[in-house]
Amino acid sequence: MQKFQVSDSELVSLYIRGDEKAFEKLVLRHKSRIYTTIYLIVKDQYVAEDLMQDTFIKAVDTIKSGRYNEEGKFLPWIVRIAHNLAIDYFRRDKRYPSVVFEDGSSVFNTLDFSEDSVESIQIRQETHEQLREMIQRLPEVQRQVLIMRHYEEMSFQEIADATGVSINTALGRMRYALINLRKQFSQRTPQYDKNIYLR
Amino acid sequence: MTRTFTYDDVVRYLYAETSPQENDAIVEALTSDAEMLAFYLDGLELQTLMDRIVRSPDSRTTDNILRYSRQYPSSQTADLSC
Repeated sequence: MQKFQVSDSELVSLYIRGDEKAFEKLVLRHKSRIYTTIYLIVKDQYVAEDLMQDTFIKAVDTIKSGRYNEEGKFLPWIVRIAHNLAIDYFRRDKRYPSVVFEDGSSVFNTLDFSEDSVESIQIRQETHEQLREMIQRLPEVQRQVLIMRHYEEMSFQEIADATGVSINTALGRMRYALINLRKQFSQRTPQYDKNIYLR
Repeated sequence: MTRTFTYDDVVRYLYAETSPQENDAIVEALTSDAEMLAFYLDGLELQTLMDRIVRSPDSRTTDNILRYSRQYPSSQTADLSC
Protein backbone atom coordinates (compact mmCIF):
# COMPACT_ATOMS: atom_id res chain seq x y z
CA MET A 1 0.00 0.00 0.00
CA GLN A 2 1.19 3.50 -0.81
CA LYS A 3 2.75 5.49 2.06
CA PHE A 4 1.80 9.12 2.47
CA GLN A 5 3.50 11.94 4.40
CA VAL A 6 0.36 12.71 6.38
CA SER A 7 -1.64 9.62 7.33
CA ASP A 8 -5.33 9.21 6.61
CA SER A 9 -6.14 9.19 10.30
CA GLU A 10 -4.32 12.52 10.81
CA LEU A 11 -6.24 14.00 7.88
CA VAL A 12 -9.55 12.73 9.27
CA SER A 13 -8.72 14.28 12.67
CA LEU A 14 -7.93 17.63 11.00
CA TYR A 15 -11.16 17.38 9.02
CA ILE A 16 -13.19 16.69 12.15
CA ARG A 17 -11.71 19.92 13.54
CA GLY A 18 -12.95 21.79 10.47
CA ASP A 19 -9.99 21.64 8.08
CA GLU A 20 -11.60 21.33 4.63
CA LYS A 21 -8.17 21.14 2.95
CA ALA A 22 -7.55 17.89 4.85
CA PHE A 23 -10.76 16.47 3.41
CA GLU A 24 -9.74 17.57 -0.08
CA LYS A 25 -6.47 15.67 0.35
CA LEU A 26 -8.36 12.54 1.39
CA VAL A 27 -10.67 12.80 -1.62
CA LEU A 28 -7.82 13.35 -4.09
CA ARG A 29 -5.74 10.59 -2.50
CA HIS A 30 -8.42 7.91 -2.70
CA LYS A 31 -10.83 8.96 -5.46
CA SER A 32 -9.39 6.65 -8.14
CA ARG A 33 -9.39 3.51 -6.01
CA ILE A 34 -12.94 4.15 -4.79
CA TYR A 35 -14.20 5.06 -8.26
CA THR A 36 -12.57 1.99 -9.85
CA THR A 37 -14.14 -0.28 -7.23
CA ILE A 38 -17.58 1.13 -7.98
CA TYR A 39 -17.05 1.07 -11.73
CA LEU A 40 -15.99 -2.58 -11.78
CA ILE A 41 -19.20 -3.51 -9.98
CA VAL A 42 -21.79 -1.34 -11.76
CA LYS A 43 -20.04 -1.32 -15.17
CA ASP A 44 -21.37 2.11 -16.08
CA GLN A 45 -19.35 5.29 -15.91
CA TYR A 46 -22.29 7.61 -15.24
CA VAL A 47 -23.78 5.48 -12.50
CA ALA A 48 -20.29 5.15 -10.99
CA GLU A 49 -19.97 8.96 -10.88
CA ASP A 50 -23.32 9.22 -9.03
CA LEU A 51 -22.44 6.46 -6.57
CA MET A 52 -19.03 8.05 -5.97
CA GLN A 53 -20.84 11.23 -4.87
CA ASP A 54 -23.26 9.25 -2.72
CA THR A 55 -20.35 7.46 -1.06
CA PHE A 56 -18.62 10.66 -0.04
CA ILE A 57 -21.89 12.30 1.01
CA LYS A 58 -22.43 9.40 3.42
CA ALA A 59 -18.86 9.77 4.65
CA VAL A 60 -19.22 13.54 5.16
CA ASP A 61 -22.54 13.07 6.99
CA THR A 62 -21.02 10.44 9.27
CA ILE A 63 -17.85 12.37 10.05
CA LYS A 64 -19.45 15.81 10.47
CA SER A 65 -22.20 14.47 12.69
CA GLY A 66 -19.61 12.94 15.04
CA ARG A 67 -20.47 9.32 14.26
CA TYR A 68 -17.13 8.34 12.71
CA ASN A 69 -15.14 5.79 14.68
CA GLU A 70 -11.62 7.20 14.70
CA GLU A 71 -10.16 3.85 15.69
CA GLY A 72 -10.98 2.41 12.28
CA LYS A 73 -9.05 2.98 9.07
CA PHE A 74 -10.49 5.52 6.67
CA LEU A 75 -9.86 3.77 3.33
CA PRO A 76 -11.34 0.33 4.19
CA TRP A 77 -14.29 2.13 5.81
CA ILE A 78 -15.14 4.35 2.84
CA VAL A 79 -14.48 1.56 0.35
CA ARG A 80 -17.01 -0.57 2.23
CA ILE A 81 -19.57 2.23 1.86
CA ALA A 82 -18.81 2.40 -1.88
CA HIS A 83 -18.96 -1.37 -2.24
CA ASN A 84 -22.32 -1.61 -0.47
CA LEU A 85 -23.86 1.21 -2.53
CA ALA A 86 -22.59 -0.39 -5.74
CA ILE A 87 -23.92 -3.82 -4.79
CA ASP A 88 -27.28 -2.28 -3.86
CA TYR A 89 -27.41 -0.56 -7.24
CA PHE A 90 -26.36 -3.73 -9.04
CA ARG A 91 -29.12 -5.71 -7.35
CA ARG A 92 -31.72 -3.04 -8.09
CA ASP A 93 -30.50 -2.81 -11.67
CA LYS A 94 -31.02 -6.53 -12.14
CA ARG A 95 -34.63 -6.21 -11.07
CA TYR A 96 -35.52 -3.18 -13.19
CA PRO A 97 -34.56 -2.38 -16.75
CA SER A 98 -32.38 0.70 -16.95
CA VAL A 99 -31.34 3.17 -19.59
CA VAL A 100 -28.14 2.07 -21.29
CA PHE A 101 -25.71 4.95 -21.67
CA GLU A 102 -23.13 5.21 -24.38
CA ASP A 103 -19.82 4.44 -22.68
CA GLY A 104 -17.46 7.43 -22.81
CA SER A 105 -14.62 5.66 -21.02
CA SER A 106 -11.79 7.14 -23.05
CA VAL A 107 -12.83 10.70 -22.19
CA PHE A 108 -12.23 10.33 -18.48
CA ASN A 109 -9.54 7.71 -18.55
CA THR A 110 -6.60 9.40 -16.85
CA LEU A 111 -3.85 6.93 -17.70
CA ASP A 112 -0.75 8.71 -18.89
CA PHE A 113 -0.06 7.83 -22.52
CA SER A 114 1.57 11.09 -23.56
CA GLU A 115 4.98 9.63 -24.41
CA ASP A 116 3.68 6.76 -26.56
CA SER A 117 2.85 6.36 -30.22
CA VAL A 118 -0.77 6.40 -31.34
CA GLU A 119 -0.57 2.69 -32.15
CA SER A 120 0.85 1.65 -28.78
CA ILE A 121 -1.70 3.85 -27.02
CA GLN A 122 -4.48 2.12 -28.91
CA ILE A 123 -3.17 -1.39 -28.17
CA ARG A 124 -2.72 -0.57 -24.50
CA GLN A 125 -6.19 0.96 -24.25
CA GLU A 126 -7.63 -2.15 -25.88
CA THR A 127 -5.72 -4.36 -23.43
CA HIS A 128 -7.04 -2.36 -20.50
CA GLU A 129 -10.58 -2.45 -21.85
CA GLN A 130 -10.29 -6.21 -22.39
CA LEU A 131 -9.08 -6.68 -18.83
CA ARG A 132 -12.02 -4.68 -17.48
CA GLU A 133 -14.37 -6.87 -19.51
CA MET A 134 -12.59 -10.03 -18.38
CA ILE A 135 -12.94 -9.03 -14.74
CA GLN A 136 -16.61 -8.36 -15.31
CA ARG A 137 -17.05 -11.76 -16.96
CA LEU A 138 -15.63 -13.66 -13.98
CA PRO A 139 -18.09 -15.71 -11.90
CA GLU A 140 -19.58 -13.36 -9.29
CA VAL A 141 -17.89 -14.95 -6.26
CA GLN A 142 -14.47 -14.74 -7.94
CA ARG A 143 -15.00 -11.17 -9.11
CA GLN A 144 -16.12 -10.18 -5.62
CA VAL A 145 -12.97 -11.56 -3.95
CA LEU A 146 -10.71 -10.08 -6.63
CA ILE A 147 -12.21 -6.59 -6.26
CA MET A 148 -12.19 -6.78 -2.46
CA ARG A 149 -8.55 -7.92 -2.32
CA HIS A 150 -7.03 -5.93 -5.15
CA TYR A 151 -9.00 -2.69 -5.16
CA GLU A 152 -10.45 -2.51 -1.67
CA GLU A 153 -7.24 -3.82 -0.08
CA MET A 154 -9.08 -6.10 2.34
CA SER A 155 -7.09 -9.04 3.69
CA PHE A 156 -8.21 -12.56 2.78
CA GLN A 157 -9.33 -13.05 6.38
CA GLU A 158 -11.42 -9.85 6.22
CA ILE A 159 -12.94 -11.02 2.93
CA ALA A 160 -13.72 -14.40 4.46
CA ASP A 161 -15.43 -12.72 7.43
CA ALA A 162 -17.35 -10.28 5.22
CA THR A 163 -18.60 -12.96 2.82
CA GLY A 164 -19.24 -15.69 5.38
CA VAL A 165 -16.80 -18.25 3.97
CA SER A 166 -13.57 -19.79 5.24
CA ILE A 167 -10.25 -18.16 4.40
CA ASN A 168 -9.38 -21.20 2.28
CA THR A 169 -12.51 -20.63 0.19
CA ALA A 170 -11.63 -16.94 -0.24
CA LEU A 171 -8.08 -17.88 -1.29
CA GLY A 172 -9.38 -20.55 -3.67
CA ARG A 173 -11.76 -18.07 -5.31
CA MET A 174 -8.92 -15.60 -5.79
CA ARG A 175 -6.71 -18.32 -7.23
CA TYR A 176 -9.39 -19.31 -9.75
CA ALA A 177 -10.02 -15.64 -10.59
CA LEU A 178 -6.33 -15.24 -11.49
CA ILE A 179 -6.31 -18.51 -13.43
CA ASN A 180 -9.46 -17.50 -15.34
CA LEU A 181 -8.06 -14.08 -16.20
CA ARG A 182 -4.84 -15.65 -17.45
CA LYS A 183 -6.83 -18.17 -19.50
CA GLN A 184 -8.95 -15.42 -21.04
CA PHE A 185 -5.84 -13.43 -21.89
CA SER A 186 -4.24 -16.36 -23.66
CA GLN A 187 -7.42 -16.92 -25.70
CA ARG A 188 -7.88 -13.35 -26.85
CA THR A 189 -7.66 -12.53 -30.55
CA PRO A 190 -4.30 -11.19 -31.74
CA GLN A 191 -4.28 -7.47 -32.49
CA TYR A 192 -4.16 -6.74 -36.21
CA ASP A 193 -5.69 -4.40 -38.72
CA LYS A 194 -8.54 -6.27 -40.39
CA ASN A 195 -8.55 -3.82 -43.28
CA ILE A 196 -5.07 -4.95 -44.26
CA TYR A 197 -5.31 -8.71 -43.73
CA LEU A 198 -8.97 -9.40 -44.53
CA ARG A 199 -9.50 -10.66 -48.11
CA MET B 1 10.02 -30.95 8.59
CA THR B 2 9.85 -29.23 5.19
CA ARG B 3 6.48 -27.63 4.52
CA THR B 4 4.81 -28.17 1.16
CA PHE B 5 3.46 -24.96 -0.27
CA THR B 6 0.21 -24.71 -2.21
CA TYR B 7 -1.06 -22.34 -4.85
CA ASP B 8 -3.14 -20.64 -2.16
CA ASP B 9 0.12 -19.86 -0.33
CA VAL B 10 1.41 -18.26 -3.54
CA VAL B 11 -1.78 -16.15 -3.69
CA ARG B 12 -1.10 -15.00 -0.11
CA TYR B 13 2.51 -14.29 -1.10
CA LEU B 14 1.37 -12.23 -4.11
CA TYR B 15 -0.63 -10.05 -1.74
CA ALA B 16 2.08 -9.83 0.92
CA GLU B 17 0.11 -11.82 3.49
CA THR B 18 2.87 -14.30 4.29
CA SER B 19 5.34 -14.03 7.16
CA PRO B 20 9.07 -13.31 6.54
CA GLN B 21 9.81 -16.96 7.40
CA GLU B 22 7.22 -18.19 4.91
CA ASN B 23 8.57 -15.82 2.24
CA ASP B 24 12.00 -17.44 2.24
CA ALA B 25 10.51 -20.91 2.00
CA ILE B 26 8.06 -19.89 -0.75
CA VAL B 27 10.86 -18.37 -2.83
CA GLU B 28 12.74 -21.65 -2.40
CA ALA B 29 9.64 -23.62 -3.44
CA LEU B 30 9.11 -21.41 -6.52
CA THR B 31 12.61 -22.08 -7.78
CA SER B 32 12.00 -25.82 -7.75
CA ASP B 33 8.47 -25.87 -9.21
CA ALA B 34 8.20 -24.45 -12.74
CA GLU B 35 4.38 -24.53 -12.83
CA MET B 36 4.06 -22.76 -9.53
CA LEU B 37 6.63 -20.20 -10.67
CA ALA B 38 4.65 -19.61 -13.87
CA PHE B 39 1.49 -19.10 -11.80
CA TYR B 40 3.33 -16.61 -9.59
CA LEU B 41 4.74 -14.65 -12.56
CA ASP B 42 1.33 -14.59 -14.26
CA GLY B 43 -0.13 -13.31 -10.99
CA LEU B 44 2.43 -10.52 -10.81
CA GLU B 45 1.69 -9.50 -14.38
CA LEU B 46 -2.05 -9.47 -13.73
CA GLN B 47 -1.53 -7.37 -10.60
CA THR B 48 0.39 -4.81 -12.65
CA LEU B 49 -2.32 -4.76 -15.31
CA MET B 50 -5.07 -4.44 -12.72
CA ASP B 51 -3.26 -1.46 -11.19
CA ARG B 52 -3.20 0.18 -14.62
CA ILE B 53 -6.95 -0.02 -15.17
CA VAL B 54 -7.58 2.24 -12.21
CA ARG B 55 -9.81 5.06 -13.42
CA SER B 56 -10.55 8.51 -12.09
CA PRO B 57 -13.93 10.18 -11.74
CA ASP B 58 -14.80 13.34 -13.63
CA SER B 59 -13.52 16.49 -11.90
CA ARG B 60 -17.14 17.71 -11.60
CA THR B 61 -17.84 14.77 -9.31
CA THR B 62 -14.98 15.63 -6.95
CA ASP B 63 -15.93 19.32 -7.09
CA ASN B 64 -19.50 18.42 -6.06
CA ILE B 65 -18.21 16.33 -3.15
CA LEU B 66 -15.93 19.09 -1.89
CA ARG B 67 -18.71 21.66 -2.24
CA TYR B 68 -21.11 19.45 -0.28
CA SER B 69 -18.59 19.20 2.52
CA ARG B 70 -17.86 22.94 2.61
CA GLN B 71 -21.58 23.78 2.72
CA TYR B 72 -22.49 21.18 5.33
CA PRO B 73 -24.97 21.17 7.11
CA SER B 74 -26.79 23.61 4.81
CA SER B 75 -25.66 21.43 1.89
CA GLN B 76 -28.10 18.72 2.88
CA THR B 77 -30.52 20.29 0.44
CA ALA B 78 -27.83 21.43 -2.02
CA ASP B 79 -28.25 20.67 -5.68
CA LEU B 80 -25.52 18.25 -6.76
CA SER B 81 -26.66 17.95 -10.32
CA CYS B 82 -24.48 20.72 -11.77
